[in-house]
Amino acid sequence: MEIEVTGIRKAYFRKKVLTDITFSAEAGSCVAILGSNGSGKSTLLSILAGVRGADSGSFFYQGSDLLRHPGQIPKVLGYVPQGDPLLEELTAWDNLRMWYDRKTLKRELSEGALRLLGIDSFLKTPVRRMSGGMKKRLSIGCAVVSRPGILLLDEPSAALDPVCKENIRAFLDVYRKEGGIVLMATHDAQDLELSNACYILRDGMLHPWQYDGDFHKLVANL
Amino acid sequence: MRQAGAYFLAQLKRAARLLPGQILADMIVCVCVGALACLLIAQGAASAEGSRYRIGMVGDLSDSYLGFGIAAVQEMDDSRFMVELVPMSEQEAQDAFLRGELYAVMRVPEGLMESVVYGKNDRLITYTATQGQQGLGTMVMGEITDVASTLVTCSQSAIYAMQRVLADQGRGEEIGRETDQLNLALINLVLSRGGFGDVEVLGYGDGLSLELYYFSGMILLFLLLSGLLNSALFAHGNGAVFCFLKARGVGAFWQILGEFLAYLLLVSVGLVMLCLPLGFGLERGLLGIPEWEGMGAAPFLAFLPVLFPAAVMFAAMQFFLFEAAEGIVNGILSQLICGIGMGYLSGYFYPSAFFPEKMRALGALLPSGAAARFVQAGALGKIPAAAWAAVFVWLSVFLGLTIMVRWSRTR
Repeated sequence: MEIEVTGIRKAYFRKKVLTDITFSAEAGSCVAILGSNGSGKSTLLSILAGVRGADSGSFFYQGSDLLRHPGQIPKVLGYVPQGDPLLEELTAWDNLRMWYDRKTLKRELSEGALRLLGIDSFLKTPVRRMSGGMKKRLSIGCAVVSRPGILLLDEPSAALDPVCKENIRAFLDVYRKEGGIVLMATHDAQDLELSNACYILRDGMLHPWQYDGDFHKLVANL
Repeated sequence: MRQAGAYFLAQLKRAARLLPGQILADMIVCVCVGALACLLIAQGAASAEGSRYRIGMVGDLSDSYLGFGIAAVQEMDDSRFMVELVPMSEQEAQDAFLRGELYAVMRVPEGLMESVVYGKNDRLITYTATQGQQGLGTMVMGEITDVASTLVTCSQSAIYAMQRVLADQGRGEEIGRETDQLNLALINLVLSRGGFGDVEVLGYGDGLSLELYYFSGMILLFLLLSGLLNSALFAHGNGAVFCFLKARGVGAFWQILGEFLAYLLLVSVGLVMLCLPLGFGLERGLLGIPEWEGMGAAPFLAFLPVLFPAAVMFAAMQFFLFEAAEGIVNGILSQLICGIGMGYLSGYFYPSAFFPEKMRALGALLPSGAAARFVQAGALGKIPAAAWAAVFVWLSVFLGLTIMVRWSRTR
């Protein structure tokens, strides 16, 4: 097992959002988390990313509890929140330079993850002039700076055209094949085709779900 | 730490990209604030030096003695430089009063002169002013009316006493001539009372001239409202950037520090943009500040470092308001409302010495009041430790609150 999440709980004041989140994933797997709006998908990912604190629970990765050692999280985990974490006035290059040193950035652009994401084609474009797909690819590019073993994606394909979705999926496929673990919160049935495991987040708990291509059945269970 | 530095550099780049627009906005605001300062200074100087209180006189003005008295006051007395007495009908006075053309109305009751001639003091002249003018001027006018009333009655008593003495001594034929002589002597005594008292005006804000008071007030107002010009820096879109930064190990403290330092760059540029034309105006003698008369821009250059701590404190306040407000529009509105409100209460538009005691105390407690005390003390060359402490406390409070808000947004 590469990651093991056990008993994560989170409440906002008296409202319990997550009551007992437990799951595990192996290297090279992709876990999709579905759920209706407000079910707590984003909260769960932000807890795993170290942004929010959990009331209890653990998140083991390679034998270390990341919730107890949040300083390790940036080294082993990349997180792409629902909105694009980019500075609008700056170019793609400037945004990437916040996270990459010059040498690494040039290398990644010529043969690494950033090349796979096709970011080199719009390096000088200010973020405010980018399409949604460009922004999402750039956000992922910023998140994978430390070549993390885990990638958390919060609705990665929301409001993207099919070409962009395919581009991102192709990247995620390569990422997985190299041993990375993808955890994504999604509403998109197409994203499920990429995943090895699928969970529905309901009443603060994760329920395993086998997606058989019947979208109406899935919706009825959300 | 490396990533916090990188974030600071990224914010600097953002600030640099926003600079052209910022400089243009600064220039527009500088022109507006400069025009307002010139207007206020000119208005203040006019009211201090040139304008007179116009007082309407109504009622029974038919007596020739009264007419002579009014004419004497208007032509010969020192008060003619301060007060203009205008005889008019009741209706004319009412209309002029409502139009704001009169400072006050003096109503002379019927039979006033008979009462005076017979040595009585039982008819009262009523003096009517609006509540807004119930200031030092009204108080002085009340005192003058009282003094004049006493003087006239006592003088009349003296004349009667003299007439009785002359009659008792059998010098009845001299009474007319001696009465005229005594009348003239008394009038001379009253009219030559130029050295009776002296008013020393210490100035505003612990000794500043009106001109320097408004000058510093307008600079502070510009700093207070400069958040409106720099609002583009706060257009973060959504909170994704903050969450991402936190996930990458850049917490609320480092985020705010990086953004605040970049914001200070914009504020500093705005301050320089404002100070360039002011320095030029002072060097060329276009702006008359009595304390700096004939010294060119040198005292202003020495005054500039005093503005910086106040600018940093205001920047922290603006930062907090933008952070606490939900969305850029709310942020701009809160800047505007707080800026104007605080500026008014702390006497940036009008000397706070004229405000009621409680309002003045409140204005002094506010960040704008702390900045005003600091800058005014700096203009006089000595800043007390309490003024430093107040600015530092507000700066810490605002930065602390901003970090708390950011922290609570990403927890």
